[in-house]
Amino acid sequence: MLAYVVRRIFFGLIVLAGASLITFTIAYVMPADPAVAVAGAKADPQTLAVIRRQLGLDQPLYIQYAHYVDRALHGDLGRSYIRREAVTGLILSRFPATALLAATAIALSLLLGVAAGALAAAYRDRALDNWLLVAALMLVSMPVFWLGTLLLIGGGLYLRWFPLGGFDGPLSLVLPTLTLALGSAAYYSRILHASLAEALDQDYVRTAIGKGLSRRAAILRHAMPNAILPLVTIAGLDFAGLLSGVVLTETVFNWPGLGRLAFEAVFNLDLPLIMGTVLFSAALVVAANLLVDLLYAWLDPRIELGASRD
Amino acid sequence: MNSHVESTARPMRARAAVAALALAIFFPACRAGSPAPVFPPGAQVLHLASLDDIPTLDPAAGYDVDSWMFEQMIFDTLIRYSDSGVDLVPDIAASWTASPDSTVFTFHLRRGVRFSNGRAVASADFKYAIERVLDPKTRSKGMEYYRGIVGAADFVAGRAKSVAGIETPDPWTIVFRLSAPDPIFPHKLAMPFAAAVPREVVARYGEDFSRHVVGSGPFMLRQWIGGQRIVLVRNPDYFVKGVPRLDGVVEAIGVNEDLQWFRFETGAIDLSAIPPAVFPYVIKTPRLKALTMRIVTMTTRYLGMNCQMPPFTDVRVRRAMNYAIDKRKLVAVINGRGIPANGVLPPSLPGYDPDLRGYPYDPARARALLEQAGYPHGFTATVWLPADQTMMVLAQSVQQDLALVGVQLKLKPVGFAPLLDAIRQPNTVPLFFSGWEADFPDPANFLDVLLSRAQWGANNDSWFYDPRFDALLAQAKPLADPVRRFALYRQAQRIAVADAPWVFLYFPVTWQIRQPWVHGLALNPMRPTRLDRVWLSPHPKPQ
Repeated sequence: MLAYVVRRIFFGLIVLAGASLITFTIAYVMPADPAVAVAGAKADPQTLAVIRRQLGLDQPLYIQYAHYVDRALHGDLGRSYIRREAVTGLILSRFPATALLAATAIALSLLLGVAAGALAAAYRDRALDNWLLVAALMLVSMPVFWLGTLLLIGGGLYLRWFPLGGFDGPLSLVLPTLTLALGSAAYYSRILHASLAEALDQDYVRTAIGKGLSRRAAILRHAMPNAILPLVTIAGLDFAGLLSGVVLTETVFNWPGLGRLAFEAVFNLDLPLIMGTVLFSAALVVAANLLVDLLYAWLDPRIELGASRD
Repeated sequence: MNSHVESTARPMRARAAVAALALAIFFPACRAGSPAPVFPPGAQVLHLASLDDIPTLDPAAGYDVDSWMFEQMIFDTLIRYSDSGVDLVPDIAASWTASPDSTVFTFHLRRGVRFSNGRAVASADFKYAIERVLDPKTRSKGMEYYRGIVGAADFVAGRAKSVAGIETPDPWTIVFRLSAPDPIFPHKLAMPFAAAVPREVVARYGEDFSRHVVGSGPFMLRQWIGGQRIVLVRNPDYFVKGVPRLDGVVEAIGVNEDLQWFRFETGAIDLSAIPPAVFPYVIKTPRLKALTMRIVTMTTRYLGMNCQMPPFTDVRVRRAMNYAIDKRKLVAVINGRGIPANGVLPPSLPGYDPDLRGYPYDPARARALLEQAGYPHGFTATVWLPADQTMMVLAQSVQQDLALVGVQLKLKPVGFAPLLDAIRQPNTVPLFFSGWEADFPDPANFLDVLLSRAQWGANNDSWFYDPRFDALLAQAKPLADPVRRFALYRQAQRIAVADAPWVFLYFPVTWQIRQPWVHGLALNPMRPTRLDRVWLSPHPKPQ
């Protein structure tokens, strides 16, 4: 187990190094001058030259990258060109808001998704199953910016039950969480429905029902534990994705998270901030992958981590 | 037996997983969010909202509307623009004089002005501020404005420890000596780059000064949480008695236009932009229209043509493009929030030429000109434009107009920074949408900066050159007499319009809406709105 984790961390570091190299190269070969981003549209060539020298942009690419990696290994992701603030500090200041939104959204989507999926499976081919299918298709099809705006108009503007965006208190969490969770819940419910339907046709479940166990108990005790495993993988990766920032939802709800920070960085061609947010997101995805695998093995002891296929 | 073990182990693990998830939720919740400062009951607090975060509050670094809006509340310059106009009025300087040849400018400071940390503001603080802007280490976007001061080049190159041309004979006098006549130099001192900053505070915080700003302006920074909000409070020691009238200003950050409008409708914010979707409704609703404010900004939007790239090397083609595009339709596309352009200089700019006719919409004439130029069936061109929704709509309107005269346009939306980089490369971008906002109210800021030969590869993005035009600019530049100066610039503008390096599209009009309880607000054609004299009458609290 320990050897597996060490090996995964080692490969994770290689992935991060690769991600940083690719982002760095793309950022620096794209046809846009970071000095213009720093100096503004009206700067003259003389000023741009001075700024290029100041930022070390006049040095060969490999030297710039080596300097970046050296600083990053010491926890310094550089300073934002536009804000002039430490990138690490900026990311860490935005991460809690994103983490809170991601955690509540994933929790709610799992709760709703598992409940709806189980109900649909329990009432397979009956009216409730069909209605849940229609609802799921509608929710999956709704773009988050549209659903979010509808929720804002309904819950914020007309009913005035929730704040109109922003990040002030628990109530402000409700609408963005719903916006993110409803679509995912619908998706999870369909996955679980399919897995449960397959499990319900298995001999061990039919035997359990044949021996007098109720259908409900058979689903909850026998079919569900196996059927829910694929959801762990998907939800884990979704969680990592949400932690990296949800640009549209954060923009619609004025949520001060990582997604908006990354969007602003790209929009302003703020290279240190782009690099920082990409590296941070990559680290989150690598960590989440590892955690999901560990959780998977923990939930289902039949899975052996690091076992080779012979 | 095994199944029993499994059936008990799994619920336990599931419960543990749920507990871990709950921890994952509540751990960040403990750190996320910071409460806004509380103002006492009855305090006059203006609530605003903005989409963009404030890039910086450091006057040496900021060069955008959001930064300047707050910098001008926190800091003071020697002179500034009046609230609703572009006439220079005293700020910390009580008076100033200029030498007849516009090479020496002397400013006399008020006494008793203090930074919010209690220290008196002195002339050395202005000298330090400008040297800081000129210091390459600061990477200031304002560096170019002060290069004309004697000794600035030596200072920038590291050959001198201070700028010789800035003298502070006593704490209340500062003298600027320029290496060449520059009648508009006082305007450069009205830019926030030249605001007084306390050296000791900058030295203490270095690059983090932006988060710990100390100025002498009407407001002080109380709280600034990136992506969330900024809160300013009244500076009780501001040197103008009775100003500011507000106790505080709270701006929610990251609020898109639609959300701003929702908040405005509930009374949660006091001022708002008007989103395009609701603009017609606002204009048709007398109650709301009465609350709107509008101003023609000192901005020109244009379709640039690269005069060094065929077919735009031919002036007949460039004129045909001007005749072929219906500018009134373009303005209608943006809900009437603009004035069709007749030339380079916007109507709010001193030196504007009201008699200049420009190019009326005349597709027949455009076709005739294209035929004369050897393009009887038109041609195909690619237009580069910033990738935003409004620009796309405008570009589609232009595309339709040009198709009627046989010119087929391909639209190429790109990010602003790559666009800017590309148009500065020779023979790269044949056609592009662009615009220019004045830095100071003088024709030189448009004509010299955008169309002179010296700006090739920089801001002359249409690569335009006409020696008659450049000669007029050279004659006008050192003149301090506005009558002679503007007359020459008008002549130069007429040459530029005749040469047509751009399709002159429109001058944007800014609209804002305020709540009925907001008073004393004035829009400025060139600078962000000042809030020093704004006050609020009693009003209901938002639900």
